[in-house]
Amino acid sequence: MSIMEYNGGSVIAMVGKDCVAIASDLRLGVQSLSISSNFQKIFPVTDRIYVGLPGLASDVTTLHEQFRYRVNMYTIKEEREIEPQTFAQMVSSTLYERRFGPYFIEPVIAGMQRTPSGSYEPFIAATDLIGCLNFAKDFVVAGTASSELFGAAEGLWEPDLEAEDLFETISQTLLNAVDRDTFSGWGAVVHVMTKDKVITRTLKGRMD
Amino acid sequence: MASADGGAYSYSLTVFSPSGKLVQIEHALAAVSQGTTSLGIKASNGIVIATEKKSSSILIDDSVIEKVAVVCPNIGIVYSGMGPDFRILVTRARKSAQSYWKIHGEYPPTKVLTQEIATIMQQATQSGGVRPYGVSLLVAGWDVTRGPSLYQVDPSGSFWAWKASAIGRNMINAKTFLEKRYNDDISLEDAIHTALLTLKEGFEGQMTEKTIEIGVITVPTQTELEAGKVEGTGRYKPTFRKLTEEEVRDYLAL
Amino acid sequence: MECSFAITGKGYVIVAADTTAAHSIIKVKLDEDKIKTLSPHLLMAYSGEPGDTVQFAEYIERNIRLYQIRNTYPLRPSSAASWIRRALADSLRSRKPYSVNLLLGGYDTSTYTPHLYWIDYLGTLTEVPFGAHGYGSYFALSLLDRYHDPEASLEEGLATLKRCIDEVSKRLLVAPGRYKVKVVDKDGVREVEI
Repeated sequence: MSIMEYNGGSVIAMVGKDCVAIASDLRLGVQSLSISSNFQKIFPVTDRIYVGLPGLASDVTTLHEQFRYRVNMYTIKEEREIEPQTFAQMVSSTLYERRFGPYFIEPVIAGMQRTPSGSYEPFIAATDLIGCLNFAKDFVVAGTASSELFGAAEGLWEPDLEAEDLFETISQTLLNAVDRDTFSGWGAVVHVMTKDKVITRTLKGRMD
Repeated sequence: MASADGGAYSYSLTVFSPSGKLVQIEHALAAVSQGTTSLGIKASNGIVIATEKKSSSILIDDSVIEKVAVVCPNIGIVYSGMGPDFRILVTRARKSAQSYWKIHGEYPPTKVLTQEIATIMQQATQSGGVRPYGVSLLVAGWDVTRGPSLYQVDPSGSFWAWKASAIGRNMINAKTFLEKRYNDDISLEDAIHTALLTLKEGFEGQMTEKTIEIGVITVPTQTELEAGKVEGTGRYKPTFRKLTEEEVRDYLAL
Repeated sequence: MECSFAITGKGYVIVAADTTAAHSIIKVKLDEDKIKTLSPHLLMAYSGEPGDTVQFAEYIERNIRLYQIRNTYPLRPSSAASWIRRALADSLRSRKPYSVNLLLGGYDTSTYTPHLYWIDYLGTLTEVPFGAHGYGSYFALSLLDRYHDPEASLEEGLATLKRCIDEVSKRLLVAPGRYKVKVVDKDGVREVEI
């Protein structure tokens, strides 16, 4: 029995053309027994950053609270909103602080990063449970369905998808991947972010 | 009973005098005003900080003395007052900048670092068994959010942002001089010359590249920013640097 | 073996827990109350490692009470749940963690809504329409998937709870004999007989 698979759950993030998407399932279980079909694993950090926290459900809440605390302190001290790149570094250092007694979470970060010219570009990143960062240009996956997500995303993702097409791609990738995983599923939530707005949709999957 | 000026309140720095003063902090300011003059000027495209570097004997190897210090690639500081105290603060500031980098993957904005140094200096006015730092600092830095900024930090731990300021001996005269010379759209080159002229006002002896130290912030261009990290190094181009002796000599010659 | 259930309905939460205190294979007490009243509108059913359960429940009970004394008003159910979760999550990474599972049912007097939280010894917290702990959960949860109605009246809610208890008694080899049932709604906490 692995701690990482105890509660189940998966997250994926994808890059599109001037947009970015992040999605997760909604299941909370205790091994094969499902407890809740409305357990959020993705949390807003700022208006332009989302973080997904698949892994041990207790640590999902603990880390969410920890990141909220650190980001609030950053915002007050620096008198500015944190950027996705900086937030990713913060996630990494928070996890590495517990190198020898880690939080059992593999975070996924998605956001729109401000460029020097004042425009925004999509940003995604993921880390392992001790904070090793992986900056990807296409998509990142994590959770109990990660291998299924890799396969589905590898087949469905293509460069420069517009927001609506990216929504369709990430939704199909997630839904089909979690259907092949015992520990993920029971509905999904998808956030698609462009430079000025976020569209959030809750999806029904196979509820069995 | 204690000595003349501060009376009984001059010993323990954590005790207010009946008039509401912390006398030790005022003494620290007196130590600063005996130090050599330093100044900083914010220009439209950068900042200059400068100081005079005088050694008490010709036998001292002055090439090793450093009064303008690089804290991190985007921030530099200069001081007036006690050299050894400055050295401690530089070390603390550098450590603070590095630990910020370890968490955020970038160097601190000028205001955050200034605040950090100011906190260290404030703590020395409220802790037991220590004395306040005998220095005032000028912190020059550049960051994406606020652009170029110039701060002064005093022994009390208070800090302000300046367009131009002077600290140390002659600071009153130097500030009056700067007030006359300063305008908002001065260029960095002009600011360097103004800095040298201001120093010249109260300078005793010869102004040479050996007796002057200059540090500059150069605001990166839009193209430099968009290019991002410098090819091969994996780092951004530093925005703060110290002028070499050759460069200082060239400015003095003009 | 230990079983606890809780269900929400229209303006109320019902919390039920078995009343057996066991030592190994021996029943030592048959009328143990495993549901604490934390505040005028908050109930907590606890189960798990004997010893830990009572220690932890009393620790929570006293702290919730302390909050009410200090601030005049009690914590709202969501805040209480959050605080209790943190106590368990911190305990999990300590030298000797508490092994206690909880069902926290409360009525929020500022929004006039019932809330039920499922909490386990790892510090997992989730709000649920119905929840259960112990072997009984394997029977009760699937039964409640079919019969639970968030708009049900108290009588209907109690009938649904009765079905759960009966099903567990019928099918579970190690089913407990008796249960204590408590209800929390706008009028506060009370015990009911089923």
